[in-house]
Amino acid sequence: MNRLSGEEWQGGHYLSVPLSSHTHTNAHLQRHTRTHTHTHTHTFTLSRVVPSVAALMTWLHSAAFTRRLARSIAYLFPSGLFDNKAKPLMKHPDEVFPKQRAVQWGADGRPFHFLFYTGKQSYYSLMHDTFTKALAVEKHQDRLRGKGLFTQDAKQISLVGSRWLLKEELEELLVETISDHDYARFIQLMERLLSLPYCSAEEDFVQRYRRQLEIQSSKQQVQPLQYDQHGVAYSTGDGRRKTATGTVLLRDSGSGSISINGTNYVHYFPVLQDREQLMFPLHFMGVLGRFDMQCSVSGGGHSSQAGALRLAISRAMLSFLSEGQVETMRQAGLLTPDPRIKERKKPGQEGARRKFTWKKR
Amino acid sequence: MSASITGLLKPWTPRLFLVRWSRYNPYYLEPEPRKEVYHIPETELTPEQKEERELKSVRPIKAATNSVTSSVFNDPVLSKFVNMMMKDGDKIIAKGIITQTLENMKRKQVEKYHKAPEGKKAEIECNPYAIFHQALENCKPVIGLASIQKGGKFYQVPIPLTDNRRRFLAMKWMITECRDNKHRLTLMYEKLSQELLAAFSKEGNVVKRKHELHKMAESNRAYAHYRWW
Repeated sequence: MNRLSGEEWQGGHYLSVPLSSHTHTNAHLQRHTRTHTHTHTHTFTLSRVVPSVAALMTWLHSAAFTRRLARSIAYLFPSGLFDNKAKPLMKHPDEVFPKQRAVQWGADGRPFHFLFYTGKQSYYSLMHDTFTKALAVEKHQDRLRGKGLFTQDAKQISLVGSRWLLKEELEELLVETISDHDYARFIQLMERLLSLPYCSAEEDFVQRYRRQLEIQSSKQQVQPLQYDQHGVAYSTGDGRRKTATGTVLLRDSGSGSISINGTNYVHYFPVLQDREQLMFPLHFMGVLGRFDMQCSVSGGGHSSQAGALRLAISRAMLSFLSEGQVETMRQAGLLTPDPRIKERKKPGQEGARRKFTWKKR
Repeated sequence: MSASITGLLKPWTPRLFLVRWSRYNPYYLEPEPRKEVYHIPETELTPEQKEERELKSVRPIKAATNSVTSSVFNDPVLSKFVNMMMKDGDKIIAKGIITQTLENMKRKQVEKYHKAPEGKKAEIECNPYAIFHQALENCKPVIGLASIQKGGKFYQVPIPLTDNRRRFLAMKWMITECRDNKHRLTLMYEKLSQELLAAFSKEGNVVKRKHELHKMAESNRAYAHYRWW
């Protein structure tokens, strides 16, 4: 059998060649030998071409291999191997490798920190510091009481827009692991410090262990206002409630007409409560007669359709309002999608809550 | 920030299967749909109100329910009454009955107003909403009874009631009274308007029931020390 060299490989016909002729009988050869025209479905097996290490070396240095390699790279990396945008995204080493402690003891083997042998030196030193501060505040209060200057309404630390550090964040800060019990004790001790009337002296210390919560209204996505060919401002919004979906086109034309799925809203919603729901966002902002609305709604019942349209109208109105008004609408509950759905039926019960009739026997 | 806070902002199913739960995470706050609250200028707010505003700006808010609007006609007590009267989720019928009741009460009071002499005209209340609220107030019991087991026997012990419980009892008595003790041909709104007007002037069966409860509590005051909360 001829061993195929690299030159003969070039996209022509090829026969599937057994590795070495002496191991196969003729019958076996006939079973395995098949001719087929070259298509893109042919498989490349290295062992078919280069059965020995020496042959492998020859193959790797051949021009055919270089060409094949170039084609593979062009296929796998279309922008080339060295393109800037093709470089892999890697995290900063600080994010990948966790922070480690420097060596905690000196040349004589004595540890630097006096709480080293507790095993959690940063945690216990933090607790120690906090308690010292609490004692200092209490001493200050006693001194004031002695002078007769103690008042209950001293300036308090404002804790409203912030939260305590989470356990993971505290661990990151202390560069050591603590248990849930330890974390709970830390929070308890901080709360105890905060319960003292004159704790505002330690405000900086406390704020170090608190994180600001983000303002919720900044999460609202407000679409920019669009203008049609007559220069009239308009915006769209969509909303969902249970299984109903609704969309609204709000136009700033000053007439106050509402059409839903082509019909007037009075005919579409004969129930007063549904019409009130449509008017709620407009009445709340005081723009009842200003907008022209074209709504389309499908799915659900009349109540959920009204709810879906209410959300759609509120969202469409955001483009016309200022930031303070957006926050007011959010606090009125107009911008939250209602998550309540029909509760599922459970096995062993007749409905979601109703149980089967209890029979004594 | 933290992944655990964003976890609190999604529709929520509790880990442990609680009997009374809602699709909102407990982190969410109740909405305030009334317009006037937002028009108070910064200077006139008390420190508690300022703190509440700051808290509201960082917490997510629940969606307003579909029976709540910013309109002047939106009355939470009336909405609760409509819901209690509703059968099988048919709010249209319940709301219709209440509307007819209020109209009926107004008609009766206006008739009385026109028939009254000049001196008495100012005393007659024509606003049906005011009559409804006052009637409900007159029906609310001040003290209630609880069945407490002590030494194998059950005693009726007088206990204080919360505001919600009092309002619930007043509404419940009113509705059961109007459903049960009426002639077969009287319509619900007719009977309800009669009862409300009677309760407004502190007469009628519902107020009588309230007085009976008070008398029972008074007679059982010896057992008051059985209450431990």
